[in-house]
Amino acid sequence: MFLSLLRIIKFSLQDISRNIWLTIATVTILVLALLSVNTLLTVEVLSRHAIEAVKEKVDISLYLKADASEEQITSLKTQITQMTKAKKVMYTSKADALRYFREKNKDKPEVLTALRELGRNPLSPSLIIVPNNVDEAPQLINEIKQIDSDIIESRDFADNTMILEKINDITKKISEVGLFIIFIFLFTSMLVAYNSIKVAIYTHRREIEIMRLVGASNKFIYLPFVLSAIIYAFLSVVLIVLLFYPFLGLLQPYLEVFFMDYNINIIDYFVNNFWIIFGLQFLAVSAIGVLSSWLAIRRYAKV
Amino acid sequence: MIKLVNVSKSYLKGVNILQAINLYIEAGEFVSLVGQSGSGKTSLVKILIGEEKINDGRVIIGDWDITKISRREVPYLRRQIGVIFQDFKLLPQKTLWENVAFALEVCGQPQVKINKIVSSVMRLVGLEDKKDRYPHEVSGGEQQRTAIARSLVHQPKILLADEPTGNLDSINANEIIDLLIRINKFGTTVILVTHNREIVNQLKKRVIAIEKGKVVSDQEKGKYLL
Repeated sequence: MFLSLLRIIKFSLQDISRNIWLTIATVTILVLALLSVNTLLTVEVLSRHAIEAVKEKVDISLYLKADASEEQITSLKTQITQMTKAKKVMYTSKADALRYFREKNKDKPEVLTALRELGRNPLSPSLIIVPNNVDEAPQLINEIKQIDSDIIESRDFADNTMILEKINDITKKISEVGLFIIFIFLFTSMLVAYNSIKVAIYTHRREIEIMRLVGASNKFIYLPFVLSAIIYAFLSVVLIVLLFYPFLGLLQPYLEVFFMDYNINIIDYFVNNFWIIFGLQFLAVSAIGVLSSWLAIRRYAKV
Repeated sequence: MIKLVNVSKSYLKGVNILQAINLYIEAGEFVSLVGQSGSGKTSLVKILIGEEKINDGRVIIGDWDITKISRREVPYLRRQIGVIFQDFKLLPQKTLWENVAFALEVCGQPQVKINKIVSSVMRLVGLEDKKDRYPHEVSGGEQQRTAIARSLVHQPKILLADEPTGNLDSINANEIIDLLIRINKFGTTVILVTHNREIVNQLKKRVIAIEKGKVVSDQEKGKYLL
């Protein structure tokens, strides 16, 4: 048994090294297939992060009356914080609102001049409420509407509801389209991997015939090719790791500029999920390799 | 001993490749199987090595009835019958030595035994000095001798030679026939499938002629009569 295993490994390694151009061609095709999968994965991760970042930015502003006392505001804040659908509640005083307004419009001198000429702070204090889940925001708005408090100046959230619905709609569509594209890419890549290994075995059909002729048992015909397919998978995953990390390194600075303030680090994602991402890719390509080897050899050797 | 009883084979309905063939070949005989292309010679070889199944009749090799041999049993049959072909059928990515050793490796033989057997058959066919060359680095005659060496590693009781001289010049062809005669003298049954009239006539051994899937003559010390 051990001797047979050693010989199967020997035949497989001999086959790979003595058909080096076929090995290079097969591994290159597998690397290209994996490159498309990983590129898609990168796009998917970035879009998911972008959606999450947009959702993080969704909040509900509850404007309060200017003469509301600190005590009333704290009581209202506590009441809203206790709502299960609210993630956090932040208080913005009149002074803070004015400071943010000035900061936001620092490049618009006409706005700042108008504010100065007004001679008073026209802004209201507010409570900024971040929902736990953007999908639950409409229900949270309904709960907020039902609060009985004199210090609430405005309860009209019509615009917010519409925007939230749009965000939910867009993110849902992006997820659906993303899933569809992932499926197409995966399917195409699997087909490419499947066919490249089948072609590699097709070139060996004469050898398979000779193996049968000299009385090779099925395992001696089948297993070296299966092992070769697993080695192709291993080599292609190692190569994709060596190629893809430098590519991510080049991509990261551009992402930092593009997603400013969102703290997206694609390299960290690929490092933290290394074994899941590349382990699964190795298992998937190996499985495809074993399947295509089995089907191709069955055809040429009638194993 | 090879025994064929009323063997018939057809690939398509109504197109008979072999029709009611009855043959008995003694152990240790040298038999030439002659016939024109398409007469059914190669089909008979394929049946004897378990590559084709017959439609009717029985095929017995030694005390093994291979009429309904299963796919799983075929490798074991192949280890008992040596076969050589016109196109040598050597593995191009293996050296001559590795080609011969391969037939033993796939049967799980230990390395020491493999080295011993391969050395001895390579010596028998006169190729021990070219053992590390690849098939494309040697002549056709040497490739065929390698194929013969490979067919002998299991010490088969039967050696089937399907047009072994078809791709060779007359000098190399005669060398191969001499080698087959030597192997036959060791007690191996040799079945030479050929349409080379000159070789058959020189041999002066049993000749079985097949035409349109039927045995049309069977002569002891015969000649190529077709």
